[in-house]
Amino acid sequence: MPNFPPPDGSTESHDGRGDDPRPGSGLEKTDLELVKRAQRGERSAFDLLVLRYQHRVIKLVARLLRDPAEAEDVAQEAFVKAYRALGSFRGDSAFYTWLYRIAVNTARNAMASRQRRPLDYEADLGEHEQASVQSRLRHVDTPEAVALSDEIQQTVERAIQELPEDLRTAILLREVEGLSYEEIATAMDCPVGTVRSRIFRAREAIDRNLKPLLD
Amino acid sequence: MTDQIKEQISALLDGELPQNELNLLVRRLERDPALRLAFGRYALVGEVLRAPGGALASAGFAERVSVAVAAGESAATSAAAYAPSTRRRRATPLVGAAVAAGALFAAVLLLVPEQAEQLQPARIAEPPAPAAVAADIEASGAASPTPARSQRMAAYLVAHGEYSTPIARRNVWTGVLANDPGITRVSYEFSEAR
Repeated sequence: MPNFPPPDGSTESHDGRGDDPRPGSGLEKTDLELVKRAQRGERSAFDLLVLRYQHRVIKLVARLLRDPAEAEDVAQEAFVKAYRALGSFRGDSAFYTWLYRIAVNTARNAMASRQRRPLDYEADLGEHEQASVQSRLRHVDTPEAVALSDEIQQTVERAIQELPEDLRTAILLREVEGLSYEEIATAMDCPVGTVRSRIFRAREAIDRNLKPLLD
Repeated sequence: MTDQIKEQISALLDGELPQNELNLLVRRLERDPALRLAFGRYALVGEVLRAPGGALASAGFAERVSVAVAAGESAATSAAAYAPSTRRRRATPLVGAAVAAGALFAAVLLLVPEQAEQLQPARIAEPPAPAAVAADIEASGAASPTPARSQRMAAYLVAHGEYSTPIARRNVWTGVLANDPGITRVSYEFSEAR
């Protein structure tokens, strides 16, 4: 059984706080608000939760499955399951923690199903043929995605470096360190409103570079 | 899309949007796909900064999920429409029987006796009656008690009787026979003859 990453989605590159909902944090409250709306039938509220967590869930599932091609299907299934089970979400844990469990279970089921498949055509192939098929599958499934992912990565990093100091600090404290606006305001010795504005301007500057890649 | 709204989206993403701004923004996001795209791109920036490398959702992933959710929802709605609740399930046989019996009874009431030449004796009207009884029937002018329509109705009852309860079936049969003067007379006179 693979080692599952922690539900906070943390990686080795930082302390893992990120924008992960901490108990009582604004993010958790916002998620809960969106969940409540979705529970009342506002599907657009659930769409926002999908937009917020789609990359994280896909990253998680891809790591578990070790198959980027299958990751989106499984992630989609996880989101659909989450929506159907939304009525049972009581807010005892953060929404992402709950979603994380669903995603992990869905990935586990997918792996089990893969192992149960009666006809594994790869087993009938020789080593060379198997490698060739794998190689072709990877090329068919991921080259554009990998290239785009790399390009997005580089674009964001470049855009961050080009930001004015105050904007860069604000966005990194928020996104990487996971500080609240109030904590950032204290750290940067400025009003909360200014923090909000700086973070927005930082995102806008990055987005201007990112948008052409995604359109 | 104004900067003010985009700033609200940014704050929403961080969980820092005041409640009074949240309601309006969520409604705006619901209406405006461009705003949702901006929300998605802002989320992507955060994801890239927090966890570099690895897979990212392809463009349109969230939309596909939304479509899948909607499809599942409509399928569930359809299933619910075809899967009656326990209470409805309990009521269904009675309601069905009542409707069937009602329809049949109405059809029976509409039956009009047909001309004598069109009439044929039905098996049910062929009791091993004495000759006197048969002669009496002929004299009464109702020699053929079961008209063709009644025969069709009888055939219908035989074919579709499974959809009604025994009591309802019996009631409808009684209706058919009660409307057949010949049968009534035969039964009465036959019993009298005995």
